[in-house]
Amino acid sequence: MEIKNFTITKRDGSKDRFSLDKIMNAIVKAFESVEQPADLGTISKILSHLDMHDDIKVEDIQNQVEEALMREGFYKVAKSFMLYRQQHSEDRETLAKLQFLSDYCESVNAATGSKYDANANVEHKNIATLIGELPKSNFIRLNRRLLTDRIKKMYGKQLADEYIDKLTHHFIYKNDETSLANYCASITMYPWLIGGTLSIGGNSTAPTNLKSFCGSFVNMVFMVSSMLSGACATPEFLMYMNYFIGKEYGEDYYKRPNDQADLSLRKRTIDKVITDCFEQIVYTLNQPTGARNYQAVFWNIAYYDKYYFDSIFGEFYFPDGSRPDWEGLSWLQKRFMKWFNKERTKTLLTFPVETMALLTNKDGECLDPEWGDFTAEMYSEGHSFFTYMSDNADSLSSCCRLRNEITDNGFSYTLGAGGVSTGSKSVLTINLNRCIQYAVNHRLDYLDYLGTVIDLCHKVQLAYNENLKELQEHGMLPLFDAGYINISRQYLTIGINGLVEAAEFMGLKITPNDDYLHFVQGILGLIEKYNKQYRTKDVMFNCEMIPAENVGVKHAKWDREDGYFVPRDCYNSYFYVVEDDSLTILDKFKLHGAPYIEHLTGGSALHMNLEEHLSKNQYKQLLKVAAKEGCNYFTFNIPNTICNDCGTIDKRYLHECPHCHSKNVDYMTRIIGYLKRVSNFSQPRQEEAARRYYASAAK
Amino acid sequence: MLKYVNTDVVFQEIPDEVTLAINISNCPCHCPGCHSHYLWEDIGTSLDTQAIDAFVTKYGKNITCLAFMGGDCAPKEVNELANYIHEAYPQYKVGWYSGRLRIPSVVKKTDFDYIKVGPYIKHLGPLGKPTTNQRMYRQNNAGTFDDITYRFWRK
Repeated sequence: MEIKNFTITKRDGSKDRFSLDKIMNAIVKAFESVEQPADLGTISKILSHLDMHDDIKVEDIQNQVEEALMREGFYKVAKSFMLYRQQHSEDRETLAKLQFLSDYCESVNAATGSKYDANANVEHKNIATLIGELPKSNFIRLNRRLLTDRIKKMYGKQLADEYIDKLTHHFIYKNDETSLANYCASITMYPWLIGGTLSIGGNSTAPTNLKSFCGSFVNMVFMVSSMLSGACATPEFLMYMNYFIGKEYGEDYYKRPNDQADLSLRKRTIDKVITDCFEQIVYTLNQPTGARNYQAVFWNIAYYDKYYFDSIFGEFYFPDGSRPDWEGLSWLQKRFMKWFNKERTKTLLTFPVETMALLTNKDGECLDPEWGDFTAEMYSEGHSFFTYMSDNADSLSSCCRLRNEITDNGFSYTLGAGGVSTGSKSVLTINLNRCIQYAVNHRLDYLDYLGTVIDLCHKVQLAYNENLKELQEHGMLPLFDAGYINISRQYLTIGINGLVEAAEFMGLKITPNDDYLHFVQGILGLIEKYNKQYRTKDVMFNCEMIPAENVGVKHAKWDREDGYFVPRDCYNSYFYVVEDDSLTILDKFKLHGAPYIEHLTGGSALHMNLEEHLSKNQYKQLLKVAAKEGCNYFTFNIPNTICNDCGTIDKRYLHECPHCHSKNVDYMTRIIGYLKRVSNFSQPRQEEAARRYYASAAK
Repeated sequence: MLKYVNTDVVFQEIPDEVTLAINISNCPCHCPGCHSHYLWEDIGTSLDTQAIDAFVTKYGKNITCLAFMGGDCAPKEVNELANYIHEAYPQYKVGWYSGRLRIPSVVKKTDFDYIKVGPYIKHLGPLGKPTTNQRMYRQNNAGTFDDITYRFWRK
């Protein structure tokens, strides 16, 4: 070995002068550790095997030392040297964790502090959230290993390598990689109704009255949510509650809500008993949850108009043989919405995320005018919820944004009744902006190139599915075994992000125009083609425009660093440019209308941002517009004002507290489906919220 | 000849309607403190029945009302267009934002469903302020007009 003045590359990438003494020292120490003598002759023999060059990495030198030791027959010494290296790499990992810990403690909020998946659903930053953050990197490694091992088995090593390559170069993104659980589900509560939580490992038996319904419901949702990484939807919640109220106070209870219901000194009315139940359930479920890293459970519910209700629950029977009573449920749904809207002026309540399911006719008129009217009324009163409109009862929203098509209304539950057990098992997202730019820059047909990426995603998802099946075979997924969710009615989801940005790169105008539509349909149609191709009787795929709270920010950052065209700091989760103020509200409905979303089988929720609330008649007109354009899933988003000084919550978008006139106000808005304080979002998301154009009506 | 500079779909200008607001140029009012200076010049595209037909084709059933924002340079022409809309497309309401103190006698008021009158006077404030001098009227079934300015004042 020739000793020259050259540099080495350290682990952090920095350069240092090469020092022979350091290597000799390390070798001597290794000999000493196993109590073997090391004379100068031995050492120089070992050194003579080393092949040094300028900028050599420390790791490479150490590898060479290991080999040299073994070549000279010092196996025990080599082993000791390897153990020493391993110990140091573990120390370095701990050191990195310590660094993360102190960075996290100093970050402004939990979402900005989170390294792996910034999430505004975590309101506070404390020891409990920190405990949740720390093992995330290990989960990512574990999940990648589980998946690549399976891909190797199913498709060979080359595809496994391809997956990791695409993942680490940010062509694709695996959502919820920090969790081991499958993603989100709309559950049927029927197994719980007949058997309590015993079948999923709980200890409560079937609910028998209103009180046990409320208590056990909360426990059941907590248990189910701890076995999911995303949302838990309970579309039957109010229907069951109506049943138990009816058992307690008579099926016609809603005709006399002001009757006295108890003999206590408080003389509570039936109505008061019911709203007390709402209070108990809603406040409990909005608490931060231990089993979910101090996040609240993502709880969703649905409201139905009469026709949707008939279509979904027309064949439903309760265990006692009775059938759900529409009149009572209709009253209870309205009561809950009114109560929840009012309660939200007292406290920031994020959950449940609500979806109103309305059936329309071909002319865009609501089949049930009473519920169409009530929907507009609730919007005009400032309530924030999603509306799902369809001319057949084909879907249910299982989480705040994911729409799953229900092929047969979900009535195959073998115990004679049912509900809806659907959802998404796993989401794998394609960064369209990078894929398309890469293809164009390399003179490839972008659809051909995208086809290879989409095909890869399907194979990876199938591998994920096999892993899930294995977990189930070992009894690890009681939600499936107990019948809350049906594994073959859950989708494998292909997510998309960066669609608008890719279109801008292609020089397209992001307005309702044929070129843009053609571009959108080309891409989404291709994904759907693969979704159909890979569909079997056990596996279904859908495609969703993901809300990308943190992915949108990450993609923009990574793509910019790698020299791609990146027009904004956070990729859109809409078909239009969120800060573009030249588009009218009608344009935005058009851009989320049938021609654009037809292949988006997993849905995308239009968040129509408005600066001020509209009147009931105006909302009624906009519901018509949505139905006519075929925009089937949307919400209106008017930032609510919350005073940081006196705590007043106002449904309007104000710059000053109407109560104490403080200018220190924060806003609650829906950026990604659920209503949260803007200051809980990660830094780049807050900036997006500030830039976002709230269509101002008053000139 | 009436000309317009641009249009927008608006909600606050006409209560309960989803309105296509047509911003007309060459405004003679020149209110001190005007928010729409760009409408003072004689610029833009001709606003005639063909332009109205094009709006209707574009927006169809998505809007419920068309409103002329300005046009005080040629009130008679605004009136003729309002009349044309009601004749050709009876499904739409018609509104007019005039900056005049009163509607000239040559105009047939019943050709409009909503009329706003009054210049913008800075210290009295816009329609949204209870101190405003501006007034919004809505035609009722009897063909007379009700003052609905209070609808702009937030509870």
